Amino acid sequence: MSRLKQWWAERVPVDGEQLKALTNEPVPNHLKSWWFCLGGTPAYLFVVQIITGILLAFYYQAAPGAAYESVEYITNQVAFGWYIRSIHKWAATLMIAAVILHQIRVYFTGAYRRPREVNWVIGMGLLLVTLMIGFTGYCLVFEQLSFWGAQVGANIAEATPVIGGPIKHLILGGESYNERTLSRFYVMHAMILPGTLILLLVLHIALIRLHGVTEFQFGNEDPEKPQTFNFFPDHVLSELSLGLVLMVVLSALATLWPADMGLKADPLTTPDVIKPEWFFYVSFRWLKWFPLTGAVLSSGLIVFSMIVWPWIDSFLRRVTKIEEISVYIGIVATCLLIGLTVLEAVVAH
Amino acid sequence: MSLRVKQIIIAVLGVAFLVSLIFVQWLEVVRRQTEAGIRPHEIAVPDTSKQCVDCHMDLTPGLIDHWKGSTHAEKGIGCVECHEANEGDADAFSHYGQLIATVVTPLDCSKCHEEEAKEFAASHHARGGEILASLDNYLAETVEGCGRHYEPVSATPGRADFGKVNGMASVNVGCKQCHGSLVALQTTDGELVTYKDLQPDEDGIPTNKEILSKIAVDKEQSRPMYDASSWPNTGIGRLNLDGSRGSCSACHSRHDFSPRRARQPENCGKCHLGPDHPQKEIFEESKHGIAYRDLKEHMNLDGDTWVLGKDYTQAPTCATCHMSGHTRNDGKITHDPGERISWTNRPPISRVMDTDEKGDAIKETNAELRRELIKDTWQNKRQRMMDVCTHCHTKSYVTKFYEQYDDFIHNYNEKFAKPGQMIMDALAKHKLRTSVKFDDEIEWTWFYLWHHEGRRARHGASMMAPDYAHWHGMYEVAERFYIEFIPQARELCEIGHEEGKAAGAEEVEALIEKILDREEHKWFMSGRKPHGGEGDHSEEPDDDGEEDEAGDSDTTAGSTEGESTEGGESDESDETGDEDDAGESEEDDGESTEDGDETDESEEDETEEDDSDEPASE
Amino acid sequence: MADEKQDQSQEESIDQPTAEQAPSSDAGRRDFIATGAMAAGLVGGYGMFGYISLRFLFPSTEGETALQFVMTTDRLKVGESAPFTAPDGSTMVIARNGEGETAEDFIALSSVCPHLGCQVHWVAKDEEFFCPCHNGAFNAKGEPTKGPPKYANQALTKFELEVVDGKLFVRVPLKSVREDERGMASRDAGQQRDNSRETRMA
Repeated sequence: MSRLKQWWAERVPVDGEQLKALTNEPVPNHLKSWWFCLGGTPAYLFVVQIITGILLAFYYQAAPGAAYESVEYITNQVAFGWYIRSIHKWAATLMIAAVILHQIRVYFTGAYRRPREVNWVIGMGLLLVTLMIGFTGYCLVFEQLSFWGAQVGANIAEATPVIGGPIKHLILGGESYNERTLSRFYVMHAMILPGTLILLLVLHIALIRLHGVTEFQFGNEDPEKPQTFNFFPDHVLSELSLGLVLMVVLSALATLWPADMGLKADPLTTPDVIKPEWFFYVSFRWLKWFPLTGAVLSSGLIVFSMIVWPWIDSFLRRVTKIEEISVYIGIVATCLLIGLTVLEAVVAH
Repeated sequence: MSLRVKQIIIAVLGVAFLVSLIFVQWLEVVRRQTEAGIRPHEIAVPDTSKQCVDCHMDLTPGLIDHWKGSTHAEKGIGCVECHEANEGDADAFSHYGQLIATVVTPLDCSKCHEEEAKEFAASHHARGGEILASLDNYLAETVEGCGRHYEPVSATPGRADFGKVNGMASVNVGCKQCHGSLVALQTTDGELVTYKDLQPDEDGIPTNKEILSKIAVDKEQSRPMYDASSWPNTGIGRLNLDGSRGSCSACHSRHDFSPRRARQPENCGKCHLGPDHPQKEIFEESKHGIAYRDLKEHMNLDGDTWVLGKDYTQAPTCATCHMSGHTRNDGKITHDPGERISWTNRPPISRVMDTDEKGDAIKETNAELRRELIKDTWQNKRQRMMDVCTHCHTKSYVTKFYEQYDDFIHNYNEKFAKPGQMIMDALAKHKLRTSVKFDDEIEWTWFYLWHHEGRRARHGASMMAPDYAHWHGMYEVAERFYIEFIPQARELCEIGHEEGKAAGAEEVEALIEKILDREEHKWFMSGRKPHGGEGDHSEEPDDDGEEDEAGDSDTTAGSTEGESTEGGESDESDETGDEDDAGESEEDDGESTEDGDETDESEEDETEEDDSDEPASE
Repeated sequence: MADEKQDQSQEESIDQPTAEQAPSSDAGRRDFIATGAMAAGLVGGYGMFGYISLRFLFPSTEGETALQFVMTTDRLKVGESAPFTAPDGSTMVIARNGEGETAEDFIALSSVCPHLGCQVHWVAKDEEFFCPCHNGAFNAKGEPTKGPPKYANQALTKFELEVVDGKLFVRVPLKSVREDERGMASRDAGQQRDNSRETRMA
């Protein structure tokens, strides 16, 4: 046995003990609280998406004449196709929801403050990429709303001053939706965006490790007991159990409300109601309230201010002397987010 | 702010977010379900109709339930939108704050369904109410009932409320329920008010204002009182108070106005069935009907659109051929079934459907005058029908079918219809039959021949039902003609001789002989002497090639031996014919020879329903 | 809740022994059961998912081949052959080599030469399938006898046959990957779409 170990150690020169020491970093106690698993949740769901996505890619065909039919083939013909597809669909929703909840947690606990501003920016990047993945993914199904959602999305992008036209041309592969558009969305959805996500995720986690997890104290800790616990096996086990809980939830959702086939995209028939996926309800409603260019610019401004929030926050704190001003702004913003989402869902459904 | 507080803030906002997401997802699920038809659409009662629904939910819950299942309800069209009346309408009344009328007419429906109402108004369906004062109506009114209220023979135990007998009862419950009634309101002095009295303008408002004050209203609701003879009624040609004709509810049953129902043959079958026009039974016998019965569930009857070739191809229904849209006319429905009919088989003698501006089949015989009158040719109409047929059948199949059909009509026309009409006209002209309709047996015979059996035959031929074309059709036509009609006509001539109308009788007899001498009728008299009586069997036709040398009276026995059935039958029919004649002459049918009516009988016989625009003053 | 977690994690942790450990044999057994249960759960759960994914990757090939009617057996005598084209365009030759009425008395061989794809034909005189392109030849069983196919030992593809009641059937592919067969593929898809409309799920 030891000879085998020796053989292995010679060829793969990694010291087991060193590795253990490196990874078995003590984890602050607050992470035992389920609150703080909201970062690991989207990461886990991302892994689920990659696995189910690869499985779906075995059958999906990204050409207008075959896309809908291939999705229909998966849903109705392939063994467990409906299940894999439904998991993929629900995990997308849960992942985006988890990312938003995670961001809410980080925001309200002020974990973005100095010196962690860069990590917040990377996190915003992760949010935007995740939303884009969600958007491009639904476009691939080639249902009515897939087509018209893509059309409307590209038109909104076009409203960006100066670069709007080229952006739309890039997205659609032409002046309007054509035979090349679907494969563009496919490459974006299955390769470019996930790749970017992995990259950003690695940076995100690396930065967390390098900075160390922000230590939070609830104020009722016993000063005698250790303030940390072990990553391995304790934290790993809780992450594992969370993952299992998510699998159960996904399975239940996939079984109770499986993904079905809507009407195939028809460029000649505009549906009465065009809506994007739920995670864009906020921006969609916002866009309906202002003229297009103004809405696009203001949306861009809002997103920009979200990205540079750590600096805005420190500026505001300095200027207004209100320490928790971000919390108050955050409450308003979140209520607005929820309100607009629900409003868009209810109106003209 | 402590971490605990922040935790709580996050908790609240996070949960609110999740709940909102769940809500959004639920809405999405509902939307998908509604789209798929699994969940019924939400119905919101329009504001103006809320009061109606609240009360009528208790009063007539079925009515409200029906409405809730309709597309009208989905789109927010409630009670008031259809029932609202204009100021000045004859039947308008104020009902809990709304000015409404009970009867909804095509004029009301045309507010939204303009195209359909226009097409329908141009169709023959809309003219169904003009049957009043026709031959058919005379039957129900006078023969089955009485034009006036009459005294009962004796009292009915338990019904002290029965006064005089309403002689129009058969018309009201029978004819009018399919053809449509003349909607009438009661007046305070016991008279009736119809559209003729009201003289409505093109918006349906009466121009004769004086008569409005005479309209009687009931005590509780101040509702104008419809006369029971005219309402309830959803006959397809109903003559409404606002001048419009028809009732859309006839086919689109209220209050769910289901298109699904209108697509099925059972819907048309409410009226288009029975001994005189068994279209429903004919359809059921035909291969079309067999296929329909079998594949009904796959025919997308609930679809939003119902286009042959696109939404279904399994089998045709009445609607398919006569009204519905198909892939060759861009799915356009017509509410005028006459657009696709090339023969009208309603009259005694079928006519081609070269129609004039009013949509009537042109009777003009002069070719040049015809050309000037024609607005739409029978060929156009046939082509429109063929566009439907060719969804399933090849062109040569359809063309050859039409050859078979044309031949059939032609044979019926020439062999039985025209001769029969000529004889009836001649009898009337020479006063050998009375001018009172249906008091002579021959009138009933002739009526059966063309109105019942002749029609059945023609309809059976038109819709591929061999049994109706032949056994229920031409066989009975032939039997009626040879064994009843001709002998009855001869009988009348004999009576004419006895009553001193020899000249006329001789003319009619000559006519009969001329007809029977024709090639197609020659067989009938080939076994006997002219003017009826026992036949000289030596001149019997040798259908089976066997010579029959036997004598007279015992040829019956001898002739049945080894003879073909045709020969045997002609022997038997001789005897039955004799019996019939004998039977007839024994009857005391009280034929009167007086001139009852002013109107010329022959004209009336010829014109029947389709020509009488104004009802006779009976 | 945080405190409870802390206690539990300390009991189960392997690397950090505490003074509150129970007698070792009990702790060991609890550990074993706990770990065993966990392993079973994980293997069961993720294993099932793995199995599902595996099944997912094997598409059903039902409907891709079917038995097609060729002719009645009395139309072909021993030693005779007849050409046949499958719905997807594949050409083949069907020959009879036995008197009986079973599938073994017939043979269906692809008429596409495995060398470079030319059409072979039966030469009765030499009792062989001959390929004119490079003079390849095959015997009545489709085995290569001469020319390039012999050197590469490539036989003619055989198609499965069935004889039922004097009627000869051959199992052939119905769908082709070729462009000109697109009509059939889209027709099938259309049919599937119609079916799915009827069975749409919530």
